[in-house]
Amino acid sequence: MATFEKQQCWSVLLRLFHWMFALSIVFLVVTGFYINNPWSNTMIEGSASFPMAMMRYIHFIAAYTFSGAVLIRSFLYIFGNAQEKVIDVLPITKRNINNLIVTLLQYCYISDKHDERLGHNILAGLTYLFTFFVAITMICSGFFMLFPEIPFWQGWGLMLFGSQQSARFLHHILMWWFMIFVVIHIYLCIWNDVKSPEGVISSIFTGVKFTHKS
Amino acid sequence: MADTVKNNLEPQLNRRGFIKGCTLAAAALGLSDAMIPKVVEAAATAERPRVIWLHFQECTGCTESLLRASHPDIGRLILDIISLDYHETIMAAAGHQAEQNLHDTVDNHPFILVIEGAIPTKDNGIYCKIAGKTAMDILAEVAPKATAIIAIGTCAAFGGIQSAAPNPTGAVGVQDLVSDTPIINIPGCPPNPISFLGTILHYLTFKRFPALDKLNRPLFAYGRRIHDHCERRAHFDEGRFVEQFGDKFHKLGYCLYKVGCKGPETFSNCPVVRFNDVDAWPVSVGHGCIGCTEPNFWDTMTPFYERLPMIKIPATGIVASADKIGKTILAATAVGVGIHGAVGIGRSLIKGKKQTPEA
Repeated sequence: MATFEKQQCWSVLLRLFHWMFALSIVFLVVTGFYINNPWSNTMIEGSASFPMAMMRYIHFIAAYTFSGAVLIRSFLYIFGNAQEKVIDVLPITKRNINNLIVTLLQYCYISDKHDERLGHNILAGLTYLFTFFVAITMICSGFFMLFPEIPFWQGWGLMLFGSQQSARFLHHILMWWFMIFVVIHIYLCIWNDVKSPEGVISSIFTGVKFTHKS
Repeated sequence: MADTVKNNLEPQLNRRGFIKGCTLAAAALGLSDAMIPKVVEAAATAERPRVIWLHFQECTGCTESLLRASHPDIGRLILDIISLDYHETIMAAAGHQAEQNLHDTVDNHPFILVIEGAIPTKDNGIYCKIAGKTAMDILAEVAPKATAIIAIGTCAAFGGIQSAAPNPTGAVGVQDLVSDTPIINIPGCPPNPISFLGTILHYLTFKRFPALDKLNRPLFAYGRRIHDHCERRAHFDEGRFVEQFGDKFHKLGYCLYKVGCKGPETFSNCPVVRFNDVDAWPVSVGHGCIGCTEPNFWDTMTPFYERLPMIKIPATGIVASADKIGKTILAATAVGVGIHGAVGIGRSLIKGKKQTPEA
Protein backbone atom coordinates (compact mmCIF):
# COMPACT_ATOMS: atom_id res chain seq x y z
CA MET A 1 0.00 0.00 0.00
CA ALA A 2 1.32 3.26 -1.08
CA THR A 3 1.66 5.81 1.59
CA PHE A 4 1.66 9.57 1.27
CA GLU A 5 2.66 12.22 3.65
CA LYS A 6 1.49 15.76 3.98
CA GLN A 7 4.17 18.35 3.33
CA GLN A 8 3.91 22.07 3.91
CA CYS A 9 4.61 23.67 0.54
CA TRP A 10 3.19 27.20 0.19
CA SER A 11 3.37 29.82 2.91
CA VAL A 12 0.35 31.91 3.87
CA LEU A 13 1.96 34.88 2.12
CA LEU A 14 2.22 33.01 -1.17
CA ARG A 15 -1.39 31.90 -1.01
CA LEU A 16 -2.39 35.46 -0.19
CA PHE A 17 -0.37 36.66 -3.20
CA HIS A 18 -2.06 34.10 -5.47
CA TRP A 19 -5.60 35.10 -4.59
CA MET A 20 -4.92 38.83 -4.57
CA PHE A 21 -3.33 38.43 -7.98
CA ALA A 22 -6.09 36.22 -9.39
CA LEU A 23 -9.04 38.28 -8.16
CA SER A 24 -7.49 41.62 -9.08
CA ILE A 25 -6.81 40.33 -12.62
CA VAL A 26 -10.48 39.43 -13.07
CA PHE A 27 -11.56 42.94 -12.05
CA LEU A 28 -8.76 44.61 -14.01
CA VAL A 29 -9.59 42.81 -17.24
CA VAL A 30 -13.34 43.45 -17.07
CA THR A 31 -13.03 47.12 -16.11
CA GLY A 32 -10.08 47.52 -18.48
CA PHE A 33 -12.23 46.43 -21.39
CA TYR A 34 -14.85 48.96 -20.40
CA ILE A 35 -12.30 51.76 -20.09
CA ASN A 36 -10.81 50.97 -23.47
CA ASN A 37 -14.12 50.65 -25.28
CA PRO A 38 -17.16 51.47 -23.12
CA TRP A 39 -19.94 49.11 -24.13
CA SER A 40 -22.71 51.13 -22.53
CA ASN A 41 -24.08 54.52 -23.42
CA THR A 42 -26.03 56.54 -20.88
CA MET A 43 -29.08 57.64 -22.79
CA ILE A 44 -30.63 59.76 -20.07
CA GLU A 45 -28.80 62.79 -18.84
CA GLY A 46 -28.89 63.66 -15.16
CA SER A 47 -29.63 60.06 -14.25
CA ALA A 48 -26.95 59.93 -11.55
CA SER A 49 -25.16 57.13 -13.38
CA PHE A 50 -21.44 57.37 -13.33
CA PRO A 51 -20.26 54.28 -15.21
CA MET A 52 -16.88 55.39 -16.54
CA ALA A 53 -15.89 57.01 -13.25
CA MET A 54 -16.98 53.87 -11.34
CA MET A 55 -15.17 51.51 -13.70
CA ARG A 56 -12.01 53.57 -13.39
CA TYR A 57 -12.41 53.61 -9.60
CA ILE A 58 -12.70 49.80 -9.47
CA HIS A 59 -9.81 49.50 -11.90
CA PHE A 60 -7.58 51.59 -9.66
CA ILE A 61 -8.51 49.69 -6.48
CA ALA A 62 -7.83 46.40 -8.26
CA ALA A 63 -4.59 47.87 -9.63
CA TYR A 64 -3.32 48.68 -6.15
CA THR A 65 -4.24 45.16 -5.01
CA PHE A 66 -2.41 43.79 -8.03
CA SER A 67 0.65 45.93 -7.22
CA GLY A 68 0.55 44.73 -3.61
CA ALA A 69 0.42 41.12 -4.80
CA VAL A 70 3.42 41.64 -7.08
CA LEU A 71 5.29 43.27 -4.20
CA ILE A 72 4.60 40.18 -2.04
CA ARG A 73 5.76 37.87 -4.83
CA SER A 74 9.00 39.78 -5.33
CA PHE A 75 9.63 39.52 -1.58
CA LEU A 76 8.98 35.76 -1.71
CA TYR A 77 11.21 35.31 -4.76
CA ILE A 78 14.08 36.42 -2.56
CA PHE A 79 13.09 35.58 1.03
CA GLY A 80 10.41 32.89 0.59
CA ASN A 81 10.71 29.22 1.48
CA ALA A 82 12.60 26.68 -0.64
CA GLN A 83 9.73 26.27 -3.13
CA GLU A 84 9.04 29.99 -3.43
CA LYS A 85 12.55 31.30 -4.10
CA VAL A 86 13.31 32.27 -7.69
CA ILE A 87 16.36 29.98 -7.68
CA ASP A 88 14.02 26.97 -7.38
CA VAL A 89 12.48 27.54 -10.83
CA LEU A 90 15.51 28.61 -12.86
CA PRO A 91 16.88 25.87 -15.17
CA ILE A 92 20.41 26.26 -13.86
CA THR A 93 20.92 23.07 -11.88
CA LYS A 94 21.00 19.55 -13.26
CA ARG A 95 17.90 18.65 -11.28
CA ASN A 96 15.96 21.60 -12.70
CA ILE A 97 17.02 21.05 -16.32
CA ASN A 98 16.04 17.40 -16.00
CA ASN A 99 12.68 18.41 -14.58
CA LEU A 100 12.09 20.81 -17.50
CA ILE A 101 12.74 18.03 -20.04
CA VAL A 102 10.65 15.43 -18.20
CA THR A 103 7.78 17.92 -17.85
CA LEU A 104 7.85 18.83 -21.55
CA LEU A 105 7.86 15.14 -22.54
CA GLN A 106 4.99 14.41 -20.19
CA TYR A 107 2.93 17.38 -21.42
CA CYS A 108 3.45 16.22 -25.02
CA TYR A 109 2.24 12.69 -24.09
CA ILE A 110 5.59 11.30 -25.21
CA SER A 111 6.42 9.84 -21.83
CA ASP A 112 4.34 9.03 -18.77
CA LYS A 113 7.20 9.70 -16.41
CA HIS A 114 6.41 12.29 -13.79
CA ASP A 115 9.19 14.06 -11.94
CA GLU A 116 7.84 14.47 -8.46
CA ARG A 117 8.93 17.58 -6.67
CA LEU A 118 7.38 19.72 -4.01
CA GLY A 119 7.54 23.12 -5.70
CA HIS A 120 6.64 24.27 -9.22
CA ASN A 121 7.81 22.26 -12.15
CA ILE A 122 10.31 24.31 -14.13
CA LEU A 123 8.00 24.96 -17.09
CA ALA A 124 5.35 26.38 -14.78
CA GLY A 125 7.93 28.26 -12.74
CA LEU A 126 9.38 29.96 -15.81
CA THR A 127 5.92 30.88 -17.06
CA TYR A 128 5.14 32.44 -13.67
CA LEU A 129 8.43 34.32 -13.77
CA PHE A 130 7.59 35.65 -17.23
CA THR A 131 4.14 36.65 -16.00
CA PHE A 132 5.78 38.37 -13.04
CA PHE A 133 7.79 40.58 -15.40
CA VAL A 134 4.73 41.25 -17.55
CA ALA A 135 2.94 42.28 -14.35
CA ILE A 136 5.75 44.71 -13.50
CA THR A 137 5.44 46.23 -16.99
CA MET A 138 1.68 46.56 -16.44
CA ILE A 139 2.28 48.31 -13.12
CA CYS A 140 4.82 50.73 -14.61
CA SER A 141 2.66 51.61 -17.61
CA GLY A 142 -0.41 51.83 -15.38
CA PHE A 143 1.13 54.24 -12.90
CA PHE A 144 2.58 56.26 -15.78
CA MET A 145 -0.97 56.69 -17.09
CA LEU A 146 -2.45 57.32 -13.65
CA PHE A 147 0.11 59.94 -12.62
CA PRO A 148 1.32 61.42 -15.92
CA GLU A 149 2.22 64.75 -14.35
CA ILE A 150 4.35 63.48 -11.46
CA PRO A 151 8.00 63.96 -12.47
CA PHE A 152 9.02 60.50 -11.20
CA TRP A 153 6.49 58.60 -13.29
CA GLN A 154 6.84 61.03 -16.19
CA GLY A 155 10.60 60.49 -16.32
CA TRP A 156 10.49 56.71 -16.02
CA GLY A 157 7.43 56.36 -18.21
CA LEU A 158 8.86 58.39 -21.06
CA MET A 159 12.15 56.52 -20.80
CA LEU A 160 10.46 53.11 -20.89
CA PHE A 161 7.54 53.72 -23.24
CA GLY A 162 8.22 56.92 -25.19
CA SER A 163 4.78 58.47 -24.76
CA GLN A 164 1.46 58.10 -22.98
CA GLN A 165 -0.07 56.51 -26.03
CA SER A 166 2.70 53.91 -26.41
CA ALA A 167 2.27 52.98 -22.74
CA ARG A 168 -1.49 52.65 -23.25
CA PHE A 169 -0.99 50.44 -26.29
CA LEU A 170 1.45 48.15 -24.46
CA HIS A 171 -0.81 48.06 -21.40
CA HIS A 172 -3.66 46.88 -23.62
CA ILE A 173 -1.68 44.26 -25.56
CA LEU A 174 -0.13 42.75 -22.43
CA MET A 175 -3.59 42.37 -20.86
CA TRP A 176 -4.23 39.63 -23.40
CA TRP A 177 -1.33 37.64 -21.97
CA PHE A 178 -3.15 37.39 -18.63
CA MET A 179 -6.27 36.00 -20.28
CA ILE A 180 -4.28 33.47 -22.28
CA PHE A 181 -2.33 32.58 -19.15
CA VAL A 182 -5.51 31.95 -17.15
CA VAL A 183 -6.84 29.48 -19.75
CA ILE A 184 -3.61 27.47 -19.82
CA HIS A 185 -3.02 27.76 -16.07
CA ILE A 186 -6.42 26.43 -15.02
CA TYR A 187 -6.34 23.67 -17.64
CA LEU A 188 -2.90 22.43 -16.62
CA CYS A 189 -3.77 22.54 -12.91
CA ILE A 190 -6.75 20.28 -13.52
CA TRP A 191 -4.67 18.10 -15.86
CA ASN A 192 -1.96 17.69 -13.22
CA ASP A 193 -4.50 17.01 -10.52
CA VAL A 194 -5.95 14.20 -12.67
CA LYS A 195 -2.53 12.75 -13.51
CA SER A 196 -0.88 12.69 -10.13
CA PRO A 197 -2.43 12.76 -6.68
CA GLU A 198 -0.30 15.57 -5.27
CA GLY A 199 -3.21 17.79 -4.44
CA VAL A 200 -1.94 20.60 -6.63
CA ILE A 201 -5.28 22.43 -6.68
CA SER A 202 -6.02 22.17 -2.98
CA SER A 203 -2.46 23.23 -2.18
CA ILE A 204 -3.21 26.82 -3.15
CA PHE A 205 -5.96 26.87 -0.51
CA THR A 206 -4.26 24.79 2.20
CA GLY A 207 -0.59 25.22 1.41
CA VAL A 208 -0.15 21.44 1.72
CA LYS A 209 0.94 18.98 -0.96
CA PHE A 210 1.19 15.20 -0.80
CA THR A 211 4.33 13.30 -1.67
CA HIS A 212 5.25 9.62 -1.62
CA LYS A 213 6.57 8.47 1.70
CA SER A 214 10.08 7.28 1.06
CA MET B 1 -6.99 118.07 -34.83
CA ALA B 2 -3.50 117.12 -35.86
CA ASP B 3 -2.97 115.44 -32.52
CA THR B 4 -6.16 113.48 -32.87
CA VAL B 5 -5.06 112.20 -36.22
CA LYS B 6 -1.69 111.27 -34.80
CA ASN B 7 -3.15 109.53 -31.79
CA ASN B 8 -5.90 107.69 -33.56
CA LEU B 9 -4.62 106.92 -36.99
CA GLU B 10 -0.95 106.38 -36.48
CA PRO B 11 -0.60 102.73 -37.32
CA GLN B 12 2.47 101.84 -35.32
CA LEU B 13 1.19 101.73 -31.75
CA ASN B 14 -2.03 100.95 -29.98
CA ARG B 15 -1.23 100.87 -26.29
CA ARG B 16 -4.53 99.30 -25.34
CA GLY B 17 -3.89 96.35 -27.64
CA PHE B 18 -0.33 96.07 -26.44
CA ILE B 19 -1.30 95.92 -22.74
CA LYS B 20 -4.04 93.48 -23.61
CA GLY B 21 -1.51 91.21 -25.31
CA CYS B 22 0.89 91.34 -22.39
CA THR B 23 -1.93 90.61 -19.94
CA LEU B 24 -3.05 87.63 -21.95
CA ALA B 25 0.47 86.26 -22.09
CA ALA B 26 0.88 86.81 -18.34
CA ALA B 27 -2.36 84.93 -17.74
CA ALA B 28 -1.22 82.08 -19.96
CA LEU B 29 1.98 81.88 -17.94
CA GLY B 30 0.02 81.84 -14.70
CA LEU B 31 1.56 85.10 -13.42
CA SER B 32 -0.26 87.31 -10.93
CA ASP B 33 -1.67 90.61 -12.14
CA ALA B 34 1.04 92.38 -10.16
CA MET B 35 3.50 91.03 -12.72
CA ILE B 36 1.73 92.55 -15.72
CA PRO B 37 3.57 95.91 -15.53
CA LYS B 38 6.84 93.98 -15.55
CA VAL B 39 5.76 92.00 -18.61
CA VAL B 40 4.76 95.26 -20.31
CA GLU B 41 8.06 96.86 -19.36
CA ALA B 42 10.03 93.88 -20.57
CA ALA B 43 8.12 93.68 -23.82
CA ALA B 44 8.51 97.42 -24.43
CA THR B 45 12.22 97.55 -23.63
CA ALA B 46 14.65 98.94 -26.16
CA GLU B 47 16.86 95.89 -26.04
CA ARG B 48 14.92 93.63 -28.27
CA PRO B 49 16.38 90.12 -28.30
CA ARG B 50 17.63 88.98 -31.65
CA VAL B 51 15.87 85.99 -33.06
CA ILE B 52 16.92 83.79 -35.94
CA TRP B 53 14.22 81.58 -37.36
CA LEU B 54 15.36 78.65 -39.47
CA HIS B 55 13.08 76.56 -41.64
CA PHE B 56 13.99 72.98 -42.41
CA GLN B 57 11.70 70.10 -43.43
CA GLU B 58 8.33 71.70 -42.78
CA CYS B 59 5.12 73.04 -44.26
CA THR B 60 5.42 76.58 -42.79
CA GLY B 61 2.20 75.87 -40.90
CA CYS B 62 3.77 76.98 -37.62
CA THR B 63 4.70 80.31 -39.19
CA GLU B 64 1.23 80.59 -40.70
CA SER B 65 -0.20 79.99 -37.24
CA LEU B 66 2.06 82.66 -35.77
CA LEU B 67 1.03 85.13 -38.50
CA ARG B 68 -2.52 84.80 -37.16
CA ALA B 69 -1.50 85.53 -33.59
CA SER B 70 -3.34 88.48 -32.14
CA HIS B 71 -1.99 89.13 -28.65
CA PRO B 72 0.42 90.52 -29.69
CA ASP B 73 0.03 90.32 -33.43
CA ILE B 74 2.92 89.37 -35.66
CA GLY B 75 3.61 93.01 -36.58
CA ARG B 76 4.04 94.00 -32.95
CA LEU B 77 6.04 90.89 -32.22
CA ILE B 78 8.67 91.51 -34.87
CA LEU B 79 8.67 95.31 -34.78
CA ASP B 80 8.43 96.01 -31.05
CA ILE B 81 9.22 92.90 -29.05
CA ILE B 82 11.88 90.93 -30.85
CA SER B 83 14.32 91.68 -33.60
CA LEU B 84 13.68 89.00 -36.18
CA ASP B 85 16.96 89.02 -38.08
CA TYR B 86 16.31 86.04 -40.30
CA HIS B 87 13.04 84.38 -41.23
CA GLU B 88 12.68 82.97 -44.72
CA THR B 89 8.95 83.59 -44.98
CA ILE B 90 8.66 87.16 -43.75
CA MET B 91 12.10 88.77 -44.09
CA ALA B 92 12.54 91.56 -46.61
CA ALA B 93 16.08 90.61 -47.56
CA ALA B 94 16.82 87.98 -50.17
CA GLY B 95 19.77 86.04 -51.56
CA HIS B 96 23.23 87.11 -50.41
CA GLN B 97 21.80 89.92 -48.32
CA ALA B 98 19.73 87.46 -46.31
CA GLU B 99 22.70 85.18 -45.81
CA GLN B 100 24.75 88.17 -44.67
CA ASN B 101 22.10 89.14 -42.12
CA LEU B 102 22.14 85.61 -40.80
CA HIS B 103 25.91 85.42 -40.44
CA ASP B 104 26.19 88.91 -39.02
CA THR B 105 23.87 87.98 -36.17
CA VAL B 106 25.30 84.51 -35.62
CA ASP B 107 28.88 85.78 -35.45
CA ASN B 108 28.44 89.04 -33.58
CA HIS B 109 25.41 88.96 -31.32
CA PRO B 110 23.68 86.80 -28.75
CA PHE B 111 20.46 85.45 -30.21
CA ILE B 112 17.60 83.06 -29.68
CA LEU B 113 17.32 80.40 -32.33
CA VAL B 114 13.88 79.27 -33.43
CA ILE B 115 13.73 76.15 -35.53
CA GLU B 116 10.73 75.06 -37.54
CA GLY B 117 10.82 71.66 -39.22
CA ALA B 118 12.67 68.39 -38.84
CA ILE B 119 16.25 67.77 -39.91
CA PRO B 120 16.93 64.92 -42.35
CA THR B 121 20.06 62.96 -41.48
CA LYS B 122 20.10 60.13 -44.01
CA ASP B 123 22.73 60.29 -46.79
CA ASN B 124 24.51 63.16 -45.01
CA GLY B 125 21.34 65.19 -44.87
CA ILE B 126 21.03 65.95 -48.60
CA TYR B 127 17.23 65.93 -48.45
CA CYS B 128 17.03 69.50 -47.20
CA LYS B 129 19.38 72.19 -48.48
CA ILE B 130 19.28 75.96 -48.10
CA ALA B 131 21.84 78.23 -49.80
CA GLY B 132 23.77 75.13 -50.85
CA LYS B 133 24.19 73.81 -47.33
CA THR B 134 22.39 70.94 -45.70
CA ALA B 135 20.06 71.51 -42.77
CA MET B 136 22.45 69.45 -40.62
CA ASP B 137 25.37 71.74 -41.47
CA ILE B 138 23.37 74.90 -40.88
CA LEU B 139 22.18 73.60 -37.52
CA ALA B 140 25.69 72.53 -36.51
CA GLU B 141 26.98 75.99 -37.41
CA VAL B 142 24.24 78.10 -35.81
CA ALA B 143 23.04 76.06 -32.81
CA PRO B 144 26.18 76.15 -30.62
CA LYS B 145 26.23 79.97 -30.73
CA ALA B 146 22.59 80.41 -29.74
CA THR B 147 21.56 81.42 -26.22
CA ALA B 148 18.74 78.94 -26.42
CA ILE B 149 16.81 77.05 -29.05
CA ILE B 150 13.06 77.09 -29.37
CA ALA B 151 11.90 74.14 -31.45
CA ILE B 152 8.52 75.26 -32.72
CA GLY B 153 6.13 72.63 -33.97
CA THR B 154 6.16 68.87 -33.62
CA CYS B 155 8.58 68.44 -36.56
CA ALA B 156 11.33 70.48 -34.94
CA ALA B 157 10.57 69.03 -31.49
CA PHE B 158 10.18 65.33 -32.26
CA GLY B 159 10.55 64.87 -36.04
CA GLY B 160 6.86 65.10 -36.88
CA ILE B 161 5.41 63.62 -40.05
CA GLN B 162 8.82 63.47 -41.74
CA SER B 163 10.03 61.00 -39.14
CA ALA B 164 6.88 58.85 -39.29
CA ALA B 165 7.55 55.25 -40.30
CA PRO B 166 9.32 54.41 -42.57
CA ASN B 167 11.08 57.79 -42.23
CA PRO B 168 12.67 57.83 -45.72
CA THR B 169 14.93 60.82 -45.07
CA GLY B 170 16.03 59.88 -41.54
CA ALA B 171 14.36 62.99 -40.15
CA VAL B 172 14.88 63.82 -36.47
CA GLY B 173 13.96 66.63 -34.10
CA VAL B 174 16.43 69.28 -32.92
CA GLN B 175 16.99 67.60 -29.54
CA ASP B 176 18.45 64.53 -31.25
CA LEU B 177 21.24 66.59 -32.82
CA VAL B 178 21.96 69.41 -30.38
CA SER B 179 23.12 68.71 -26.85
CA ASP B 180 24.97 71.72 -25.46
CA THR B 181 22.38 74.46 -25.99
CA PRO B 182 19.19 74.57 -23.91
CA ILE B 183 16.20 73.50 -25.99
CA ILE B 184 12.57 74.43 -25.41
CA ASN B 185 10.07 72.36 -27.37
CA ILE B 186 6.78 73.98 -28.41
CA PRO B 187 5.20 71.01 -30.17
CA GLY B 188 1.86 71.05 -31.94
CA CYS B 189 0.70 70.82 -35.51
CA PRO B 190 0.65 73.77 -35.45
CA PRO B 191 1.30 74.93 -31.88
CA ASN B 192 -0.84 77.67 -30.46
CA PRO B 193 0.99 81.00 -30.96
CA ILE B 194 0.14 81.84 -27.32
CA SER B 195 2.50 79.07 -26.19
CA PHE B 196 5.34 80.46 -28.30
CA LEU B 197 4.74 84.10 -27.40
CA GLY B 198 4.33 83.19 -23.73
CA THR B 199 7.75 81.54 -23.78
CA ILE B 200 9.33 84.60 -25.42
CA LEU B 201 7.66 87.02 -22.99
CA HIS B 202 8.66 84.86 -20.03
CA TYR B 203 12.25 85.11 -21.20
CA LEU B 204 12.01 88.87 -21.69
CA THR B 205 10.46 89.38 -18.26
CA PHE B 206 12.61 87.09 -16.16
CA LYS B 207 15.69 86.62 -18.37
CA ARG B 208 15.23 82.89 -18.15
CA PHE B 209 13.00 80.33 -19.81
CA PRO B 210 9.89 78.86 -18.18
CA ALA B 211 9.84 75.57 -16.25
CA LEU B 212 9.81 72.56 -18.54
CA ASP B 213 8.49 69.01 -18.37
CA LYS B 214 10.56 65.90 -19.15
CA LEU B 215 10.06 66.45 -22.89
CA ASN B 216 11.32 70.05 -22.56
CA ARG B 217 7.88 71.51 -23.10
CA PRO B 218 6.93 74.60 -21.05
CA LEU B 219 4.73 73.49 -18.17
CA PHE B 220 2.50 76.55 -18.43
CA ALA B 221 1.30 75.29 -21.81
CA TYR B 222 1.93 71.53 -21.70
CA GLY B 223 1.57 70.74 -18.01
CA ARG B 224 -1.87 69.18 -18.17
CA ARG B 225 -3.70 66.68 -20.29
CA ILE B 226 -6.33 67.95 -22.69
CA HIS B 227 -8.73 65.40 -21.19
CA ASP B 228 -8.46 66.97 -17.73
CA HIS B 229 -9.55 70.39 -18.93
CA CYS B 230 -11.95 69.33 -21.64
CA GLU B 231 -15.45 70.79 -21.68
CA ARG B 232 -16.79 67.33 -22.63
CA ARG B 233 -15.14 65.62 -19.65
CA ALA B 234 -18.39 65.32 -17.68
CA HIS B 235 -19.87 63.26 -20.52
CA PHE B 236 -16.87 60.92 -20.30
CA ASP B 237 -17.29 60.27 -16.58
CA GLU B 238 -21.03 59.82 -16.98
CA GLY B 239 -20.54 57.34 -19.80
CA ARG B 240 -22.12 59.39 -22.58
CA PHE B 241 -20.27 58.88 -25.83
CA VAL B 242 -20.50 59.71 -29.50
CA GLU B 243 -20.82 56.32 -31.24
CA GLN B 244 -20.11 57.65 -34.70
CA PHE B 245 -19.79 61.04 -36.33
CA GLY B 246 -23.13 62.63 -37.09
CA ASP B 247 -25.23 60.47 -34.76
CA LYS B 248 -27.63 61.98 -32.23
CA PHE B 249 -25.02 61.76 -29.45
CA HIS B 250 -22.63 63.77 -31.61
CA LYS B 251 -25.30 66.43 -32.05
CA LEU B 252 -25.82 66.48 -28.28
CA GLY B 253 -22.13 67.20 -27.78
CA TYR B 254 -21.17 64.00 -25.95
CA CYS B 255 -17.61 62.78 -25.34
CA LEU B 256 -15.57 61.88 -28.45
CA TYR B 257 -13.60 59.11 -26.69
CA LYS B 258 -15.11 56.25 -28.69
CA VAL B 259 -14.46 57.96 -32.02
CA GLY B 260 -10.75 58.10 -31.24
CA CYS B 261 -10.19 61.34 -29.31
CA LYS B 262 -6.59 61.34 -28.01
CA GLY B 263 -7.24 63.96 -25.32
CA PRO B 264 -6.49 61.47 -22.49
CA GLU B 265 -2.91 60.98 -23.69
CA THR B 266 -2.08 64.46 -24.97
CA PHE B 267 -0.60 67.37 -23.07
CA SER B 268 -1.61 70.82 -24.24
CA ASN B 269 -3.46 73.97 -23.27
CA CYS B 270 -5.89 73.82 -26.22
CA PRO B 271 -9.09 73.57 -24.12
CA VAL B 272 -8.05 76.61 -22.12
CA VAL B 273 -6.54 79.14 -24.54
CA ARG B 274 -8.24 77.86 -27.72
CA PHE B 275 -7.36 79.23 -31.13
CA ASN B 276 -7.43 82.40 -33.19
CA ASP B 277 -9.60 84.56 -30.90
CA VAL B 278 -12.77 82.73 -31.87
CA ASP B 279 -12.85 80.45 -28.80
CA ALA B 280 -12.78 77.34 -30.97
CA TRP B 281 -10.60 74.26 -30.81
CA PRO B 282 -11.04 70.82 -32.39
CA VAL B 283 -13.05 69.18 -29.62
CA SER B 284 -15.37 72.19 -29.25
CA VAL B 285 -16.38 71.82 -32.90
CA GLY B 286 -16.94 68.07 -32.71
CA HIS B 287 -13.66 66.48 -33.76
CA GLY B 288 -11.48 64.46 -31.41
CA CYS B 289 -7.95 65.48 -30.48
CA ILE B 290 -5.32 63.80 -32.69
CA GLY B 291 -2.54 64.12 -30.12
CA CYS B 292 -0.32 66.41 -32.22
CA THR B 293 1.84 67.62 -29.31
CA GLU B 294 3.12 64.16 -28.42
CA PRO B 295 6.28 62.40 -29.72
CA ASN B 296 5.78 60.14 -32.76
CA PHE B 297 2.12 61.04 -32.96
CA TRP B 298 1.85 60.06 -36.62
CA ASP B 299 2.84 56.52 -35.69
CA THR B 300 1.19 56.10 -32.31
CA MET B 301 -1.99 58.21 -32.55
CA THR B 302 -3.14 56.80 -35.88
CA PRO B 303 -5.73 55.62 -36.85
CA PHE B 304 -7.08 58.93 -35.63
CA TYR B 305 -10.61 57.53 -35.24
CA GLU B 306 -9.61 54.47 -33.18
CA ARG B 307 -8.43 54.44 -29.59
CA LEU B 308 -5.27 52.42 -30.15
CA PRO B 309 -2.83 51.82 -33.01
CA MET B 310 -3.17 48.75 -35.19
CA ILE B 311 -0.79 45.83 -34.85
CA LYS B 312 1.28 45.02 -37.90
CA ILE B 313 2.54 41.45 -37.99
CA PRO B 314 5.82 41.50 -39.92
CA ALA B 315 6.13 39.51 -43.16
CA THR B 316 2.43 38.60 -43.27
CA GLY B 317 0.83 41.86 -44.32
CA ILE B 318 -1.69 41.45 -41.51
CA VAL B 319 -2.81 44.70 -39.95
CA ALA B 320 -5.48 44.35 -37.30
CA SER B 321 -6.53 45.81 -33.98
CA ALA B 322 -4.97 44.50 -30.78
CA ASP B 323 -8.33 43.12 -29.67
CA LYS B 324 -8.88 41.16 -32.87
CA ILE B 325 -5.44 39.58 -32.64
CA GLY B 326 -5.89 38.99 -28.92
CA LYS B 327 -9.20 37.23 -29.46
CA THR B 328 -7.68 35.08 -32.21
CA ILE B 329 -4.78 34.00 -30.01
CA LEU B 330 -7.08 33.37 -27.05
CA ALA B 331 -9.37 31.24 -29.25
CA ALA B 332 -6.36 29.35 -30.59
CA THR B 333 -5.22 28.74 -27.01
CA ALA B 334 -8.64 27.43 -26.03
CA VAL B 335 -8.66 25.14 -29.08
CA GLY B 336 -5.15 23.94 -28.21
CA VAL B 337 -6.21 23.20 -24.65
CA GLY B 338 -9.24 21.32 -25.95
CA ILE B 339 -7.16 19.21 -28.32
CA HIS B 340 -4.61 18.49 -25.60
CA GLY B 341 -7.35 17.34 -23.25
CA ALA B 342 -9.03 15.25 -25.95
CA VAL B 343 -5.75 13.54 -26.81
CA GLY B 344 -5.23 12.74 -23.13
CA ILE B 345 -8.71 11.25 -22.76
CA GLY B 346 -8.37 9.33 -26.05
CA ARG B 347 -5.06 7.90 -24.95
CA SER B 348 -6.38 6.66 -21.65
CA LEU B 349 -9.40 5.11 -23.40
CA ILE B 350 -7.14 3.21 -25.80
CA LYS B 351 -4.49 2.16 -23.31
CA GLY B 352 -6.87 1.62 -20.45
CA LYS B 353 -6.46 3.15 -17.07
CA LYS B 354 -2.92 2.59 -15.97
CA GLN B 355 -2.72 0.74 -12.67
CA THR B 356 -0.51 2.81 -10.50
CA PRO B 357 0.75 1.47 -7.22
CA GLU B 358 -1.13 4.25 -5.37
CA ALA B 359 -4.52 3.27 -6.74
